[in-house]
Amino acid sequence: MTEDSTPAVSIDNITKVFPLPLRKGKGLLAVDKVSIQMTPGEIYGLIGPNGSGKSTTMKILLGLVTPTEGHSRIFGKDSRKVESKHEVGFLPENPYFYKHLTGAETLHFYGKLCGLKRKQIRERTEELLDLVELQNARDRRLGGYSKGMLQRIGLAQALIHRPKLLVLDEPTAGVDPVGSRQIRDLILRLSEKGITVFLCSHLLEQVQEICHRVGIIFRGKLVREGTLAELISVEDQTEIILRDASPELLEKIQTLVDSENTETVRVGKPRTTLERLFLDHAASDRQNKE
Amino acid sequence: MDAQTLPNNPHRKFSPGRIWALATSTLTQLVRMKVFYFLLIFIALLFVAGFLFISLSFEQELKLLKDIAFGAMSLFSIIFAIVGTAILIPRDVEDRTLYTILSKPVPRLEYLIGKLFGVLLLVAISLIAMDLIFSAILYLRQNVILTEQIALLESEGNATPENIADVTNLVNAQGVNWDLQAAVFSIFLKAAVLASFSMLLSTFATSTMFTIVVGFAIFFIGHGQSLARDYFLGGIEVEAIQKLITVTLVVLFPDLQLFNLVDGVVSGESVPVSLLLKITGIATLYLVIYNLAAYLVFSEKEL
Ligand SMILES: Nc1ncnc2c1ncn2[C@@H]1O[C@H](COP(=O)(O)OP(=O)(O)O)[C@@H](O)[C@H]1O
Ligand SMILES: [Mg+2]
Repeated sequence: MTEDSTPAVSIDNITKVFPLPLRKGKGLLAVDKVSIQMTPGEIYGLIGPNGSGKSTTMKILLGLVTPTEGHSRIFGKDSRKVESKHEVGFLPENPYFYKHLTGAETLHFYGKLCGLKRKQIRERTEELLDLVELQNARDRRLGGYSKGMLQRIGLAQALIHRPKLLVLDEPTAGVDPVGSRQIRDLILRLSEKGITVFLCSHLLEQVQEICHRVGIIFRGKLVREGTLAELISVEDQTEIILRDASPELLEKIQTLVDSENTETVRVGKPRTTLERLFLDHAASDRQNKE
Repeated sequence: MDAQTLPNNPHRKFSPGRIWALATSTLTQLVRMKVFYFLLIFIALLFVAGFLFISLSFEQELKLLKDIAFGAMSLFSIIFAIVGTAILIPRDVEDRTLYTILSKPVPRLEYLIGKLFGVLLLVAISLIAMDLIFSAILYLRQNVILTEQIALLESEGNATPENIADVTNLVNAQGVNWDLQAAVFSIFLKAAVLASFSMLLSTFATSTMFTIVVGFAIFFIGHGQSLARDYFLGGIEVEAIQKLITVTLVVLFPDLQLFNLVDGVVSGESVPVSLLLKITGIATLYLVIYNLAAYLVFSEKEL
């Protein structure tokens, strides 16, 4: 297999059942037969409400949680193997790093864990502190960092060993709009440099803005997957978007439509978003249940 | 920056460098929690012990100083060993710092060894600091007493060279010597065994408090362990089953009395090198067993 045809991420039919204490035999199905493939260089977004299994999927990919069934690979290397970690950087959800370390010391610590040499660590620390714009906070302890700064030092920590894949669990959760914009710009810049990004969020618009491909996960199941264009377009419907259309024109169009064998589904402002798609799914799911 | 992994850094299955990085960061963490303020308490204690009970005979006085010093060293090192280990791993799990560490190329065994080493470094540094302070104070007291005793002989007109030599020997026997350092080392070994036990507990305990309480329980049981063993086995000939019980007991409850060189040393006994080697070996064995057990639990743990 050549380097190019190896998927960056290959998640293969993964299921995770968490055992429930006090209830033998029954477990909590957190992830249900999920398969995801990512080609090198893409930004893939996993969306779904809280508790739908996003973090668990990511932890399985990083070998932090053992799947009940299935397996996953990072650039062809089994996730359970320690070696696979050389290719991946991870930023967990709401992370807290060692509060007693300064920004620069934190990067030094993680660099050491990656087996980098002193000189490499020094160079990478400078580059990354520049990249995440934390040079002026480098000698302050993380205990005094804001939420956005913590996420950015977390991003820097994930990048210290130049991984080819970046896994970000809710990278903008709890960060104010300005900080969140900063983080999104950073992700786009990293992607331009060829890094594959796997991120998840329950905030749908943010995913929509930067992801090439999106998967929707609901109650542990991957219910839809595709490029944004594919997901948002509704196949048997056509949307005509006009600017400054007069009421007369609209009326003419309407009569024309009525004379044909066509049903008007909706006339109004265009508003199809991932959010609606998601809400639709949740609604139909509820109907099926009842 | 490009998407290339850094050159010249092949993956190493076991890396002392990574363990050292974990150990030193653990030590920094503990030090920045300002634990070293305890040394002030220690100094205060020794000053009280060294300079207040002057009405005692000089042997009693020096013995009391040593008793208090060793008691405090034991206490502080055991608190650091048990509490230090008990709070560190659960905190890493809670703060999700553990995810960031284990998503780097760090084997779980190295993480455990690194944390344990960090605590042991703290215990070792504290013991060395306490030992230095204690030895200095003891040395000072020893010399003050010697001068007093010689002055006393002179005032009685008994200051013959033999009498002076006798008194000097008597006082120095109670003073600073290598056996005291061996006793400090035995305290370190005991703390190391307790720290690794406490780490094993914290890999499956659901609360830090549990680890601390059980850790201290083991400390007390460990001191009475040989008694308990005699009680259960009633001193009968040891058969296979009883041997098994003994082994289980010894593993579950480390026989900490083994590491108790302090009492002997304080009353002036000397410590043979062979005994030191023996207890070092036993402590190492306990450390390896507990560490492996902790690894077995931890490697299966859902994080
Ligand atoms: N370690 C665990 N033990 C038991 N249940 C868990 C554990 N981790 C997650 N879960 C459960 O699995 C489900 C999925 O959680 P998670 O993957 O964190 O969702 P998300 O990240 O999408 O919010 C939730 O119901 C959660 O309670
Ligand atoms: Mg989550």
